[in-house]
Amino acid sequence: MIFMHNTRPDRTRPHLIGTLFACSIYLFLFLPIFVVILNSFNANKTKPYATFKGFTFEWYIKLFDNPALLSSFGNTLLVAFASTVLSVLIGTLAAVGMHRYKFKGKSAIDALLYIPVVIPEIILGISLLSVFAWVSIPRGLITLILSHVAFSTPFVIFTLRARLSGYDLTFEEAAMDLGANRIKTFAYVTLPLILPGILSGGLLAFTLSIDDVIISYFVNGTVKTFPLKVMESIKSGVAPDVNALSTLILLGTTGIVLLTQSGLFKSEAKS
Amino acid sequence: MMTLNDKKQKMPMLTMLSPITSMLIFLVVIPLIYVLVLSFCKTNEYYQVMFTFSFDNYKNLLSPSYFQVYMNSIVIAAITTVICIVLGYPFAYYIVKQPPKIRTILYMLVIIPFWTNSLIRIYGWKSFLGASGLLNNLFVWLGITHKPLELLFNRGAVVLGMTYTLFPFMVLPLYTAIEKLDLTLIEASYDLGARKVNTFLHVILPLTSSGIFAGAIMVFIPTLGFFFVSDILGGGKSDMIGNLIERQFGSANNWPLGSALSIILILLTLIMVRLYTKAGGKLEDLG
Amino acid sequence: MKMLKKVIGTTLIISCMGLMLSGCGASKKSSGEINVFNWTEYMPESVLKIFEEETGIKVNYSTYSSNEDMLSKVQSEAAGTYDIVVPSDYMVDLMAKQGLLEELNKDNIPNLKNISPAYLDQYYDKRNVYTVPYLGGVVTLCVNKSKVSDPITSYKQLFDSKYENSLVVLDDTRIVVGMVAKSLGYSMSETDDTILAEIKDKLLELKPNIMSYDSDSPKTVMIDGSASVGYIWNAEIAMSMSENPDIEIVFPEEGPYLFFDNMAIPKGSKNKENAEKFIDFICKPEIAKMIVEEFPYVTPNTEAINLLGDDYINNKACNPPAAEVAKGEYVKEVGDKISVYDSMWTELKK
Repeated sequence: MIFMHNTRPDRTRPHLIGTLFACSIYLFLFLPIFVVILNSFNANKTKPYATFKGFTFEWYIKLFDNPALLSSFGNTLLVAFASTVLSVLIGTLAAVGMHRYKFKGKSAIDALLYIPVVIPEIILGISLLSVFAWVSIPRGLITLILSHVAFSTPFVIFTLRARLSGYDLTFEEAAMDLGANRIKTFAYVTLPLILPGILSGGLLAFTLSIDDVIISYFVNGTVKTFPLKVMESIKSGVAPDVNALSTLILLGTTGIVLLTQSGLFKSEAKS
Repeated sequence: MMTLNDKKQKMPMLTMLSPITSMLIFLVVIPLIYVLVLSFCKTNEYYQVMFTFSFDNYKNLLSPSYFQVYMNSIVIAAITTVICIVLGYPFAYYIVKQPPKIRTILYMLVIIPFWTNSLIRIYGWKSFLGASGLLNNLFVWLGITHKPLELLFNRGAVVLGMTYTLFPFMVLPLYTAIEKLDLTLIEASYDLGARKVNTFLHVILPLTSSGIFAGAIMVFIPTLGFFFVSDILGGGKSDMIGNLIERQFGSANNWPLGSALSIILILLTLIMVRLYTKAGGKLEDLG
Repeated sequence: MKMLKKVIGTTLIISCMGLMLSGCGASKKSSGEINVFNWTEYMPESVLKIFEEETGIKVNYSTYSSNEDMLSKVQSEAAGTYDIVVPSDYMVDLMAKQGLLEELNKDNIPNLKNISPAYLDQYYDKRNVYTVPYLGGVVTLCVNKSKVSDPITSYKQLFDSKYENSLVVLDDTRIVVGMVAKSLGYSMSETDDTILAEIKDKLLELKPNIMSYDSDSPKTVMIDGSASVGYIWNAEIAMSMSENPDIEIVFPEEGPYLFFDNMAIPKGSKNKENAEKFIDFICKPEIAKMIVEEFPYVTPNTEAINLLGDDYINNKACNPPAAEVAKGEYVKEVGDKISVYDSMWTELKK
């Protein structure tokens, strides 16, 4: 064994210490999620639901009798969908346009795209709030969607740009030379090439929107998304039905991710 | 090759680029300029914004108590960043070293916690660490203490919450950087008789520094603005810049002062990003 | 392309299910809606449900943690965003002066007769043009007897270093600053700069003793024993006392902070009649009783008090004794001196 240590490190077999360390990091990452799941089975019925008083499935049924909670989840999905569609549209056009053309102000757009990514979310939140209040746009679903578009579009563009960097314009030219019009060229040549990028960009936008707290907090008006509902219920102790819904969402999203990821890996292996 | 001079190209170019341009102008540039304008305004006794030009807000912000909040925020953000690097680097290294199949699974396991709402996970920590929470119950049951320990409402709890929320933002760029490592270089270093420590310090670390820098920026800057973590785990005691801004736009109801605070935070961010690019970091890595 | 179908398919199915679920709660036949903006932990969900069932009016309920929070939202949101708000006394004064409130049509609120005259016609709303009293009470001290052996009789004792890191106080500028002013023998609404400077110094002395700030549910840390002394809402004290027998309410000699919260309709409300129906509904004795049973504050509803009986009337935490209330003080609006209060608060919480 002593000699073993002096030879090259064994790269295929993990060290015991390394594995222990990684396990403890995963424990750290998943611990609060276990607490959330555990609390969703808490039989304690009095606020602030602090002590665990036995095991019950009741909350998973009661949850469907809480219209405010369910509609907050509906709002989250609505905002996430609308903002993802919009940011994918704007982002795809912009990414392809910026890849294809050279123009004045390109570097300005480039620089501006980094602002929503780099500045703390709270700045984007209060500045959008101020402007919405200034031009008196009533706060609600519309302002939520607009704000989510503002922070997720750059991520879509960056994802696509990585994809486009290896993409040759000659394909398009060839298609046009062969008589395809602009729309056909885009649909049959450009789009299939960048589709994986669009998908992962869209998925990213969707994820960002679903979990957003800080920006939504400022621009929501009276509309509540699920994270804002959680924020409100944290004030008086999170009710077990909120934990139950979170658990269901976790299961659902993990399911989707596993499904799509396995799909992604397969198709990438093929291509 | 298509160029701008080609007249036919003008229309499609406009359709492709005007949506993003108008989005950036209306949802990023104008709001930020408006905040800059607000920061020079004042409020009257009914909390309404008066559009008069004054430096009062900035003068107020020079007072020592605000300065202490900035320092407090920077210290918490710096500690969080350092902890994230120290824990994240070996962790990312460990994941990269696994065989591809396991690596994918381990990578996914870092992302999955993301899919649960971040607030409820922070609350999960609160209920875990609370006086009647699991950890204290365990301690009492094991006889380590006979009274519940006070683990919440202090700076340590805030740092824990920040580290928890932002840890993946450190791991992911580190993962990318370590994955790109050229293994032959490391082997060459070993072959030349370098010891592990030297190989790490002189070969591996410099080659992966881009990941460290990008991760540091992606942890440090958001920490400054995360007001809910210090509210939930810190008991509202150690205000950070984010809390101050949130309060000015909420209960203190002084938007001009909040705007001035925001401008300070933007400046702080710009300084950090400037340092980052000076150190050779690329903006692309922050996406 | 298969992968695309899979992704879009699964996300669509899941989100349709989500939307349907969320829809089934909301799609009941509704005759209008109202947006109610109220304090956290102040109105039972069951009351809202009964109102929705009885009238078919849908209630969108949101909460706030301080008067100033509420004012900020009402001022910044478009007019008509909220139909009911519940400001405290001094805030009614400020909002009425600013023209932020609608005049009530009393014909739509016949149950106003149940409200005791003692709570009507106050300085902040003469003849109740804008508001109907909802709930009131005091902010006073409570102690955990298993952790505090000394008898507490005065706010002055809270500054003692032996209570380091053991106080829970409301996260509310006016209430906490008011208490510190009282401990120095001043009024809760001082506007003199030198007095305010003195109050500020004293306030900062309190800093090391504060364990946490919580306006929403301070009972949590009282019940689990992590805080030994609280300066919190009387109903929160009452609830802590019923969960943890070690907790006791204390009325300090300087007198408590008094408040009375009132239902009002913000200017520009689009559902004014429905909002008046809601106010009337809340004034029904059995509804007022339900509210107080869950959140034991002082109800102005004479009929409800009759229904509640002696258990409620004699409970010092639910219904603070008149002698103690007489020693207390309502805060007043302080005009632009509020910025001095705010900067003190920033200093305290840094």
